[in-house]
Amino acid sequence: MDISEVDALRVAALGAFASAVDAASLEQARVDHLGRRSPLAEAQKQLGGFDDDERRRVGALLNGLKNDITAAFEQRHQDLASLELAATLESQRLDLTGPARRVRPGRPHLLTQVEQEIVDVFVGMGFGVAEGPEVEAGRFNFDLLNIPADHPARGTMDTIYVDEGADVVLRTHTSPVQVRTMLAQQPPIAVVCPGRVYRADAVDATHSPVFTQVEGLLVAEGVTMAHLRGTLLAFARALFGDDREVRLRPSFFPFTEPSAEVDVSFESASGWLEILGSGMVDPAVLAGCGIDPERYTGFAFGIGVERVAMLRHGVSDIRDLYDADARFLAAF
Amino acid sequence: MRIPLSWLTSMVDVDLPLDALVERLSAAGLEVEGVTRPGEGVRGVATARVLHHEPHPDADSLRLVDITGPGGVGEVRVVCGAANFEVGDVVLHAAVGAEIPGLKLAARTIRGQVSAGMLASARELGLGDDHAGLLVLDADVGLGLPLEELVPVGEPVIEIAVQPDRGDLLSIRGVARDLAAVLDTQVRTELAPVASAPASSGVSVTLETDAVGAFVAWTLEDVRVRRSPLWLRTRLAQCGVRSIDSVVDVTNYVMLELGQPLHAFDLDRVAGEALKVRDAAGGEVLRTLDGIDRTLVAGDVVIDDDAGPASLAGVMGGERTEVHAGTKRILLEGAVWDPAAIRRTSRRLGLVSEASTRFERRVDPAGAEEAVARAAHLLADTADAQVVAATNVGRDMGAWLVRNEVVADAARIRALLALDLDTDAQAALLRRSGSRVQEDGDRLTVVPPSWRGDLERPADLAEEVARLHGFEHIPAELPPLVLRGGRTPAQQVELRLREAVLAAGFDEVVTRPFVGERTLLGVHPSDARVQLANPLAKDAAAMRPGLLDGLLTTLRRNRGQGRAGMAIMEFGRIHRPVDDVLGSELDTLLGPAWRWEGPDAQPLPLQPRALGVAAFGARMGPGWLDEEDGWGVTDVIAAFDEVARRAGAGALERRPVQREGWHPGRTVALSLEGVEIGIAGQLHPHEADHWDLPDPVVAGELLIEALQHRAATLEDVELRAPVLVRHPAVVVDVAVVAPEALETARIMQAVRDAAGPLLDELWWFDEFRGAQLPAQHRSLAFRLRLQDAGRQLNDQDAEAVLKAVEVAVGAIGAALRA
Repeated sequence: MDISEVDALRVAALGAFASAVDAASLEQARVDHLGRRSPLAEAQKQLGGFDDDERRRVGALLNGLKNDITAAFEQRHQDLASLELAATLESQRLDLTGPARRVRPGRPHLLTQVEQEIVDVFVGMGFGVAEGPEVEAGRFNFDLLNIPADHPARGTMDTIYVDEGADVVLRTHTSPVQVRTMLAQQPPIAVVCPGRVYRADAVDATHSPVFTQVEGLLVAEGVTMAHLRGTLLAFARALFGDDREVRLRPSFFPFTEPSAEVDVSFESASGWLEILGSGMVDPAVLAGCGIDPERYTGFAFGIGVERVAMLRHGVSDIRDLYDADARFLAAF
Repeated sequence: MRIPLSWLTSMVDVDLPLDALVERLSAAGLEVEGVTRPGEGVRGVATARVLHHEPHPDADSLRLVDITGPGGVGEVRVVCGAANFEVGDVVLHAAVGAEIPGLKLAARTIRGQVSAGMLASARELGLGDDHAGLLVLDADVGLGLPLEELVPVGEPVIEIAVQPDRGDLLSIRGVARDLAAVLDTQVRTELAPVASAPASSGVSVTLETDAVGAFVAWTLEDVRVRRSPLWLRTRLAQCGVRSIDSVVDVTNYVMLELGQPLHAFDLDRVAGEALKVRDAAGGEVLRTLDGIDRTLVAGDVVIDDDAGPASLAGVMGGERTEVHAGTKRILLEGAVWDPAAIRRTSRRLGLVSEASTRFERRVDPAGAEEAVARAAHLLADTADAQVVAATNVGRDMGAWLVRNEVVADAARIRALLALDLDTDAQAALLRRSGSRVQEDGDRLTVVPPSWRGDLERPADLAEEVARLHGFEHIPAELPPLVLRGGRTPAQQVELRLREAVLAAGFDEVVTRPFVGERTLLGVHPSDARVQLANPLAKDAAAMRPGLLDGLLTTLRRNRGQGRAGMAIMEFGRIHRPVDDVLGSELDTLLGPAWRWEGPDAQPLPLQPRALGVAAFGARMGPGWLDEEDGWGVTDVIAAFDEVARRAGAGALERRPVQREGWHPGRTVALSLEGVEIGIAGQLHPHEADHWDLPDPVVAGELLIEALQHRAATLEDVELRAPVLVRHPAVVVDVAVVAPEALETARIMQAVRDAAGPLLDELWWFDEFRGAQLPAQHRSLAFRLRLQDAGRQLNDQDAEAVLKAVEVAVGAIGAALRA
């Protein structure tokens, strides 16, 4: 056997492997060219009949041939497996540009998010969180806050009553929680009081009979108006951005003296937007709650959660917060 | 309070542009609500005399009017729809080319007649609401004069929101005085000329009530009531007050100027020419100026003449003694009333007048006589009135009138405000407000001016010092807090529970917590309601007894928007009367600590915190919905189970219940230690229909108050780590054939008990019904995962467990499926 015959076998085998298109045809080609009855196997069987030199020469040729076509087979085998896997994967293609169909988690309501964010600001400063009943005694909602019996705010035009005779009301602010806190403990006191409050307002774009407040109270020795301003500045920057300033304007609330409206700097016509009311706790309120106004001073403030949410998120109609349209809920 | 700028600057010098003035007012607590310019844009409007008029030939309601031309010279003709003028009257002519707000005038042909401009009404010029007729001026006004030379038309009018404790700011002089204090300048108090009081005393006045502090009554004769001059009408219009006649207008003008409301009686209509001021007895009737009969009650204050009640003190005069066109003699009254009495009457009658607004915020007790004298001076001019007699009755000062000196510690004020103001500086600021101040070291003794009812205590002085110094000077400092703040355990639990329900796919909503008559009840149903005494609407007459009403209303609204499905939840308080069944049930679990009390242990209605969920229709997400996969009752139960686990309460017991409005076979009550704290189920199809929702609708309610309270108070809710066994597990599946009536929970409990300590986890994974099974039976498949901490389990162990399970399910009437 000479080199040309060996080359012919090599060409035939490599051609057969290359033209195999699947595992079955490749296997057939393997049997044809590497099997026990293949020309190669037949040739190897005849080696015994050659003399030593010839056997060595032809044996080497045939071994080389066998190595070559085995390698070619394995290469082709791998290639075909890759192609097959690729075809399988291609058949598994998913259109991932469509919606991801799984139950999504629900979303917390905007009012909850803003309320908790406000609470977190004050918790971070060391305030506790206090709560109280929404159906409240008039004495806690009004009297102990310096709002006497004939005060206009106690009229049925402003306040929703549960029982006028027993003076039980839907609380008009969360200040009664401050009262309850002061009645229950001596200073130092630092709490915020989040919760729903009520006014006798018909529902329209800017009014709601129920809304949400976070009020705050700090009573201790040596509390000053600078502490009030510093605390509210920290709040404004946390909620609206580090570049904000606050402005205090004299105002009137029955339960604070001095009282101040607090504006936060905004890109508006005047450069300011009114955000909350505040003041130094009126000495009569402290005394009424059993706290010595000669020894302690304090400040209080009340933030409307709806107002903050509406300003910060562009909500133009307060009803959107309570009507719970799915499109609105999905936005936050 | 509306402040025409030129009126204000007639009393105080203001060297500031308008914007800066507005800023300073707001910074000083005189909050500016807006600036308007009534009559702005009026150009080319001038006086003209009516020379002749005749009916329009082709229109009954129109006149052809010949008036004097420009500069009072010549004659022009206009077509006019008004009829309140005569030949010789001076009117305002907007000539061709003139402008009035919203209109530039051109020659127009009206029904065939050319009109050279128009004759203007007060409303058209922005000088009042009157549009029925022309604005007719006094006959002696010069002709051809531009309107803007006669009155400050178009000038800024600043509207100020007055705080309830600052009644002194309800006048031009009050604002001028405060502005002068703010700007540290002088106010011209001698500006207003007044008539001098006559020596002879007038009508007899007796005071029989504590609600009056002073009563001044001057008699004026030779009165000729007429139209007010233009300047007076302009001022009233700028301040939003309607012009009536020259007597009433003067009383209103002086009220605006000085803050003291005045009332003019027609003296010839005052029976007996004597007045008595007294507390009303109940049941008397007085017809007020607005023509309404008012039934008086004890607590009202009336002014009587010999014929009975003639005026409702401080609120509104009586019709019987009203000034009219033919009035010849008037009694001009200026009185000081107890704010509380006026507030009571005004509130009771729902009658808020310019006078009552001022009296209930306290008028200057020293100001009545000056105001009457001022009005008398003006009435001489506008109504030819002559002062002939004066009565001035005072009373011993009532408690509400007494002004004590206020003693304050300047060092405390300095500390409170964190302002470096020494005693002298504080005294100087307080003097600017009109107070008399004595200094003695840090001790300030202050006598506030009579008009400042708000300066009563050291805290009030502190505010005044800060206000006049400027709140903007107060520094910002964080308080040195050394407290352990943060949320309470109960509040932390609620945050965790909210996360759990959100993760289950329910969106949070916030609803208005009111209900009407009909509502679907959830946990512990009861008909008792916390009713509202003055509800805003019939369908919002009570506080919600549960959360389902708001949730279902929300689902209905969204369904109405064409939504195929929705799942929502709400955390909030629910409300029941104090003796409601829910209360005693929760008491057995929690004791009474969860209840709220008012002062003196007054029990308040029950208002525990609760969680409600509701869902209908297809599961949906952004951009997709699955019609085949709807929200079901197990979604509710799964969410509540997770909530209970998160609260450390373990598994809630489920008991099938039949409740009104709920599906009889798909509703369970949820209990903790035998006490119902929740409900989960599917709505009865009729109930779903009531809410316009497609069946099935699922919902649930859970009293998280119970879970919060336990988590906050129990010591043993501490979570412990499980021992994780490392030996390989053996997994065994069993199928149990059981009668339909045998509950899954019982079967699983039997399997659990039988498998014993080797059981690591137990899963339900299939349910099957079919012909192969006996009638009314089902097959349930479970997977058991077995493990032992000490060794590897083998087939014999699995066999033993299977055997035990077979026995256990047999004991409750079920069998293993071969």
